[in-house]
Amino acid sequence: MSKAKIREVNELGTLVKIGSGIALAILLIPVFIVVLTGLNSGDHLTFPPEGISLRWIFAFFRSEEFLSAFLFSFGLALITMTLSTIFGTLAAIFITRFSFPGSQLLRALFLSPLILPGIVLGLALYIFYVSTDIGLARSYPGMVIAHMLVTMPYVIGTVSASLFNFDLNLEQAARSLGASPLTAFRKVTLPNISNGVMAGSVFAFIVSFGQFDVSLFMATPNNTPLPIALYWSLRYTFEPTAAAAGIFAIALVITSMLITSKLVNLQKFSGVKFD
Amino acid sequence: MEDIKDKNNFLRIFYTYRPILLVLPALILFIIFFIIPVLSMFVLAFDKPVTGVLDLQGKWTLKSFLRIYNRSLYFDAAVTSVSLAALASLITLIIGYPLAYLIAKTENVARNTFLMILVLCAMQLDMVIRLFGLMVLMGDNGLINGALMYFNIIEKPIGLMYNKLGVLVGLVQFSLPFMVLSLIGIIRGISPAVVEASRSLGASPNQAFWKIIIPLSMPGILAGTLLVFAISISSYIVPALMGGWKVMVMPLHVYQQIAEMGKWQFGSAIAVVLFCTSLLSVIVYQRVAIRIGGGRA
Repeated sequence: MSKAKIREVNELGTLVKIGSGIALAILLIPVFIVVLTGLNSGDHLTFPPEGISLRWIFAFFRSEEFLSAFLFSFGLALITMTLSTIFGTLAAIFITRFSFPGSQLLRALFLSPLILPGIVLGLALYIFYVSTDIGLARSYPGMVIAHMLVTMPYVIGTVSASLFNFDLNLEQAARSLGASPLTAFRKVTLPNISNGVMAGSVFAFIVSFGQFDVSLFMATPNNTPLPIALYWSLRYTFEPTAAAAGIFAIALVITSMLITSKLVNLQKFSGVKFD
Repeated sequence: MEDIKDKNNFLRIFYTYRPILLVLPALILFIIFFIIPVLSMFVLAFDKPVTGVLDLQGKWTLKSFLRIYNRSLYFDAAVTSVSLAALASLITLIIGYPLAYLIAKTENVARNTFLMILVLCAMQLDMVIRLFGLMVLMGDNGLINGALMYFNIIEKPIGLMYNKLGVLVGLVQFSLPFMVLSLIGIIRGISPAVVEASRSLGASPNQAFWKIIIPLSMPGILAGTLLVFAISISSYIVPALMGGWKVMVMPLHVYQQIAEMGKWQFGSAIAVVLFCTSLLSVIVYQRVAIRIGGGRA
C-alpha cells in the first residue's frame, strides 16, 4: 500500500467503521434478541433480563406446534434440495454448454422466480392448483413444486458460474486421450464443478427452509412449515418457545453458510445473480 | 467388446445429439408450474370480477384495475407501498454503503470472509425469525420502551411498531444485505490508482471520496437501490407483522382479497399491479447490472 492510500484509509476509516458498526448492529441485533429470548428464564424477555435458562429449549422439544413445523420444514428443504439440485444442475450444463438461439431467454426464464414477488408466485400457483383441480391445492407435492421454483435459480446460478470458470480445454484434453464425451464429463468436468453444485444445493436447502412467501397460500394445519407456524404465533404473542425454535434455525443457517464459505470463494460472491 | 463399443456409441449419441434431454425436466416444470400459472393469473385479472367464482367467464373487462385506481383504500395502499419501498431503498443505501466499503476495500482476507458470512447469514435467515427479534425490541412492552421507562426517560410506551415507522425499520433490516452485496462488487472494482491520482493532484481524502469514489460507485448504488425497491415493495411478512395490519400495502390486500374474501379476479389484479411495479424496477436494475458486471451483478 502506498503512503497516500494508508493516510486515506486512516482518515476515512473512522467514519466507515462507525457506519459499518451501525449496519452490522441493524443486521445482527434482532438475531441476538431471538437467542436471548429463547434462553431467558422469564415468561418473556424484559429489560433488564431476568436470567438464563434452558426451559424454553425444553419447551420447544415438547411443543407439538413448533417441533413438528421445524421437522416438516427440514424434510421439505431436503426433498426440495435434492430435486432442485438434479433438475437445476442438468439445466445449467445445458445452458452453459450448448449455445443455441434463445439460450439467453431460457436462462432468463430459469432465473425469473427470483424477480417475481414470492406472494405473486404463490398466488399464481394457488389459482392454478385450485382451478385445474389436479389434487395439488394445499398438498405436499404442490408445496414441493412451489419450493423447487424458488430454489432452482440459486442452483442454476451457482452451477453455471462454476461451469463458466471451468477450463473447457481440460475436457477436450480428456477427449483427445480417448475418453468418450460422457466419461470426459463425468471424470473431468464434474469433479471440478462439484463445489459449485454443492454450494448451490446448500443455498437451495436454506432458501427452502426459510421460505415464507410462496408457502403462505400452500400451508394447511397438516402441512405447516416453520416460518408459517412462527408467523401465526407472532400475530398474537411473543412466545419464547418460538424463539427457541429460532435458535435452532439460526444454528442451521450459520452451519450452511460456513459450509458455503469452504466451497466457493465468498470474495467473488454477490449473492444475487439476475443476469 | 463389441457390446461396450455399442453402448459407448449410444451414450455418445445421447450426449452429443440429444443434449436437450438435460434441460427437459426443468423446462417442463417451468412451463407447467411457472409460465402457465402466471399467465392464467394475468388472464384472470382481466375477467369480470365475481366474488367466489374462479372459473373463467370470458367477460373481459378492466373493472378490477379501475377499482384499484378509484377506491382510495387500494390506491392509498399502492402509494404507501411505493413510498415505503423508496424510503427503504434510500435508508439502506446510506446505512449499507460504509459496510460494503469496509468489506470491499480492506485487504484482510480473514476479516472479509467473516463479514461476508455475517451478511449472508443475516440475509439467509428466515425473515420471520428476524422480525421476532425486532418486535421484541420495538414493541410497547419491548426492550427499547422497557429501557426508556426503566431509566424514567418516558412515562408510557412510545409507539415504535404497528405503524409506518415499524414497517420501515423492518424493511431496512430485511433488505440491507441485498444492498451491501450489490455495492461490494462495484466498490472493489474501483482502482486505487484513480484515488491516488486524485490525492496526488491535491484532493483531500474527503474530496477524493465524494468526487471520485461515490461517482464511480454510481452503477452499484443504482442497482442496489432498485433491487431493494423491488424486494421491499413485494414483502408481505414485514408489513403484516411490523405494521400489525394497520399499514395496508399491496401484498396484504392480495392475500386478504383471495384468502379471506374469495375475490379471485380483484386479488389477481392487485397482484398484477404489484408484479408490474416490481418488474419495472428490476428491468432498469438489469440494464444497470449488465453494464457494470459484463452481465453478472
